Amino acid sequence: MREDVEVSQVKSIIERFKDKILDVKKVQDNQWILITDRDSLRPIVTYIMQSEKFKEAHIATMVGTDERPLRGKMSVTFWINTLTDSMNVFIGVRTYLEEDNLEYDSVSKDVPGANWYEREIYDMLGVVPRGHPDLRRLILPDDWPDNVYPLRKDFKYTESPVSYPNYSFTYTEERSSCAIVPLGPYHVSLDEPAHFKLYVRGEEIVGCDYKGFYSHRGVEKIAESRLTYEQVNFIAERICGICGYTHSTAYCQAIERISKIEVPERAEYIRTLLLEIERIHSHLLWLGVASHLVGFESGFMDAWRIRERIMWLAERLTGNRKTYGMNVIGGVRRDLLDYRKDLVTKTVKELKKEYKEFVDRLTSIKSFIRRCEGIGVLKYDKARAYGVLGPTGRGSGRNIDVRRDHSYAAYKDVDFKVPVYKEGDVLSRALTRIDEVFESIWIIEQVLDSIPGGDVIAEYTEIPQYEEGLGYTEAPRGENVHYVMTGEKNMVYRFRVRAPTYANLQAVPEMLKGYTVADAPLIIASIDPCYSCTERVTIIDVRDCKTMTLDEYEFNMLSVKASKRWF
Amino acid sequence: MSKIVTLEYPLKELKAPEEYRGLPYIDPHKCIGCGACRNACPSDAVMKIDDIKNGIRKIILDVGRCIRCGRCEEVCPTGAIKLTTIFEAASKSRENHIEIIELKLLRCSRCGRYSEFTERQVMFALDILPREALEVEALDKRIWLCRDCRRETALSEAVDKEWKWYYGKLVKSTWE
Repeated sequence: MREDVEVSQVKSIIERFKDKILDVKKVQDNQWILITDRDSLRPIVTYIMQSEKFKEAHIATMVGTDERPLRGKMSVTFWINTLTDSMNVFIGVRTYLEEDNLEYDSVSKDVPGANWYEREIYDMLGVVPRGHPDLRRLILPDDWPDNVYPLRKDFKYTESPVSYPNYSFTYTEERSSCAIVPLGPYHVSLDEPAHFKLYVRGEEIVGCDYKGFYSHRGVEKIAESRLTYEQVNFIAERICGICGYTHSTAYCQAIERISKIEVPERAEYIRTLLLEIERIHSHLLWLGVASHLVGFESGFMDAWRIRERIMWLAERLTGNRKTYGMNVIGGVRRDLLDYRKDLVTKTVKELKKEYKEFVDRLTSIKSFIRRCEGIGVLKYDKARAYGVLGPTGRGSGRNIDVRRDHSYAAYKDVDFKVPVYKEGDVLSRALTRIDEVFESIWIIEQVLDSIPGGDVIAEYTEIPQYEEGLGYTEAPRGENVHYVMTGEKNMVYRFRVRAPTYANLQAVPEMLKGYTVADAPLIIASIDPCYSCTERVTIIDVRDCKTMTLDEYEFNMLSVKASKRWF
Repeated sequence: MSKIVTLEYPLKELKAPEEYRGLPYIDPHKCIGCGACRNACPSDAVMKIDDIKNGIRKIILDVGRCIRCGRCEEVCPTGAIKLTTIFEAASKSRENHIEIIELKLLRCSRCGRYSEFTERQVMFALDILPREALEVEALDKRIWLCRDCRRETALSEAVDKEWKWYYGKLVKSTWE
């Protein structure tokens, strides 16, 4: 194999698997692709994920691409983010599959974090991971017909075939001895629908099954079939209602990397500023929700009052409360004018004071601490196996942060700490977020001090065809990865978005086991899942067929009442 | 802590700051119907429909589909489409979200058919073209024609000139 590879991670893999690796490609500065055959995919991915050589490793994203129009095959690529002391790289392990044999050995048995990714390509592309422990549909609606795969290139985005519903939840082995509590599709505490089935024995949760993606909008397919490069950006930021800016930044970075556009420094600083503003408002939102769920209503009001200032600031800076519409490929659209700079300085100063008061109040309330402490514990081993990201991962002792590990925008120029807690319970996730807001304020202060002058947007002429690249940002909830493969006629060939909740939600069943139904809203909320809420819960006891329905208020009150015992 | 932070909205009017990107609005007097906004719009909120038979082009703006990105404002050559600071889009009727601009398509002075651009587009082109840089007479003669007629007249004029041998071949292959 190639001898000139200097990167230690890639080198060690090549040395170990020698002739199993058919080709090595460096797609971007820190992104490598190893091409292998279908049988070696599983051992290589498992080796990278479990190797002691890497400090941390998790699946950054997994992409299945229908490359039949290009080379008559489909490709499956596991992108793994590997961290060592000296170098951090994204390694893509890729195999090509012929159309008449779309099977490969599943890695989910060894790497639980790969579960959803494999179910997704099974659902969307018809690629079959052999020996997958739980091969059900993941994304498409229940009444989607079999053998119709929307991400294949011969499927038109305007089609919408319908058949009969055929989805089934898996039951744990002790089905007869436990009751089932369906949670959702309209969910308890946060945004957007998701359906949890809790298997309970009395109050204790013994198992959990999840069905989500009720609000899957096919952004990837639209991006591939209808939109131009510039337009995808504006759809990409609408993927999330809270951290939209991080999505548009990730997409822009992917394109900028592929076409070697040099973004002006001033634009990089403005992006950093807005990303941190977004993190602050997202974390404040979460702290409010957490306060609400432990029954500390004035804390909820207070957090959201402080947050509103940030929203107003974002409105003045970008033209939208939600920092939408600010990014374009090559830079940002609005400059940080002097009066806006003063505005930021003033707001951040006030925020710092008020936030500190709020945090002091929150952390000195015994019921909040007791309610969160030791609840929903996710140990480091599990966290790493599931590839849990962001504050959820850092709350379980994973020392990861894309801002530091693969620094982008202006993060290489600013100084900040990455808070890590080892306990892995709800409290440590809360504390991680609390600390991060202070760090964000500190980053904003540095950005304001050292922002350079110049243009805010770079012009570009051409985006090369059929090149690939990853764009990544540290969203408020964790690592957010966009994979882009460019195509012809000013359009993207393949666009794949992996938001952090995709990885975090897979670990929720682990967190719920052993705790009570009243803890469930708090535990689910503790990963700050990105989906929303018109909440209704039905509790069904299978033994005597009793059904009772709790509305949002009653269900949340269960959680609130649970904290009353410490008042 | 004792300060009241709740706003009396909607009882009291609330104004968005001037930086705010709100509902878009097309100024019908300025719009030339070029459709640049339609090409830039990521969410297909603007449509361009030509009725060649009756010579009318409709530019239809559906605020209900709009995501307020403001790309249309950036690409508009005449500044006709602007994002206002209005943010209240709730309405009892869906029709209130739709703005329709009707523009006349250019009627070819030679063949009498409607062409695929509007009168205002031609006027706008005449406005921005530096008159001194062009042959004004030739321009005035040809600019009111449809695309096919322009091609034909240009070719026949050229054929009249002494380049007959070269263009003769081209005309043959184009029109057969």
